[in-house]
Amino acid sequence: MTAAPVALPETSAPPGRFRRWLTSPVGAQVTAAVVFIGAWQLLTLIAPRVPGPNEVRQFLYIEITGGSHGGIVRGQFFEHFAITLQRFSLGLLIGFTSGLLVGVLIGLSGLARALLNDTVLVLLTMPAFVWAFLTTMWFGITWQAPVLTVAFTTFPFVAINVAQGVRAITPELKHMSTAFEVGRWKQFRHLIVPAVAGYIFAGLRFAIIVGWNGILLSEWFSGQAGVGFRTRYWFDANRYRGFVGWVIVFIVFIVLVDRVILNRLQKRAFRWRDASEADFIEIEERQVGL
Amino acid sequence: MARVAIDRLSKTFPPPVKDGDPVVAIGDISLEVEGNVFVSIVGPSGCGKSTLLNILSGVETPTSGKVSVTEGGRPAHLGYVFQDARLLPWRTVMDNMLYVRDDGDVGAANASRYLDMVGLAHTHEMFPGQLSGGMQQRVGIARAFSVEPDLLLMDEPFSHLDAITARSLRDHLQELWSATRKTVLFVTHDVVEAVQLSDRIIVLAPGGRIFDDISIDLPHPRRATDPKVATLQAEILGRFEEMHPADAPA
Repeated sequence: MTAAPVALPETSAPPGRFRRWLTSPVGAQVTAAVVFIGAWQLLTLIAPRVPGPNEVRQFLYIEITGGSHGGIVRGQFFEHFAITLQRFSLGLLIGFTSGLLVGVLIGLSGLARALLNDTVLVLLTMPAFVWAFLTTMWFGITWQAPVLTVAFTTFPFVAINVAQGVRAITPELKHMSTAFEVGRWKQFRHLIVPAVAGYIFAGLRFAIIVGWNGILLSEWFSGQAGVGFRTRYWFDANRYRGFVGWVIVFIVFIVLVDRVILNRLQKRAFRWRDASEADFIEIEERQVGL
Repeated sequence: MARVAIDRLSKTFPPPVKDGDPVVAIGDISLEVEGNVFVSIVGPSGCGKSTLLNILSGVETPTSGKVSVTEGGRPAHLGYVFQDARLLPWRTVMDNMLYVRDDGDVGAANASRYLDMVGLAHTHEMFPGQLSGGMQQRVGIARAFSVEPDLLLMDEPFSHLDAITARSLRDHLQELWSATRKTVLFVTHDVVEAVQLSDRIIVLAPGGRIFDDISIDLPHPRRATDPKVATLQAEILGRFEEMHPADAPA
């Protein structure tokens, strides 16, 4: 695209650094955050029972540093967070591995699809709170209830996505593998998993979000410890700044997991694609003599 | 050094439309190929060339007749080159070579040797997307040779490449073949290519019958510009053209 030369009026100075920063993606994100906090502050003026940003910040500081909330109630952040994280990881591991295996089965075999596809769809439509109730009914107030809630809520998301990915594998590569008599395990590792990686990541992303919702609900109903339990503790105590503070904690956690861990894993899994693009650009530049 | 025996082979596909006629892909072919020979199967599209390869590789079953591909009495070990390279885009060139083998370090040394032979020693750690189409197909050829097959099946491996790339790949293939002398069945619709590469050309006509079976007795490797090759190419091309008025379906 060639732009026609535009004669700028001599008085117009180049836009200032601040203006350029403001219209950059980072600037836009910061603006959104500032607007959000401002709106929140305004809301507290209209509805006095809503805790303001500063109140919540003070609460979180005490909760995280283990200071006193007044009287003998002390901040307990890491204890609860660690417990939830353990349960969440275990549940996600169970849900993810079984989802991966069942998804591959459904994708590869028509019989497995007929047997399992409807079941997985039913599980997919089951809201997390149903699992939170059911597992509490089965196991009572134990660690199994939240772990299984996570496993049950994450499993169908992974399975459906993986099954779709497996069915999208090009028949040419499958045919090549069969022709060269490549073993099943080798095909799984080198053909199926990488081909499905994009779908696996999509499934994992959804799974983490619904699984995290699931564990909070489960701990809210049946926990004696954990993030969900602590959130309910402050809710029951009529301390809404505590409630909102913990809500912010689990939102921040999910955003960080998505941005930091999943994004990096994804970059690593797709480095073959990035490498190809980078190289082509390099070659083109060499050809035009840059 | 495999032995391919095809005995009264026919393959008919069900009619593509309801109440239509069944499609005869191969009609009663008998053929034997044995020894360190490079055999081309040539014919216009739709004459059953690819079906024949698919039956030999076991992807499709014959309607009637028998085929056997053996090596000293046991089933032969096969290698394949497809129309496109069919490499795993997410694995490096070397990992693609090792994907079809099960023998670790021995396999790596062997894979390396064949990559050298097609002039791709520098690409071990590159991804297929970083290579040109011609280079990818060279990896495909090296991969097929590296499994040390008794019989190598090649299905129009140069048909998707531009003429200049295809010519250089033919030279690579001739070098590899001269060094290894595998039994090769090479499907193509290009008579000129077949004459340059083969010891024997089997010409199929529409309806899947053998129209001609030609032996070519010129030393390998052959240059496309060699007058003897060019003369023979013209002669066989002439015979090939004769086929059409009589045999092409109305």
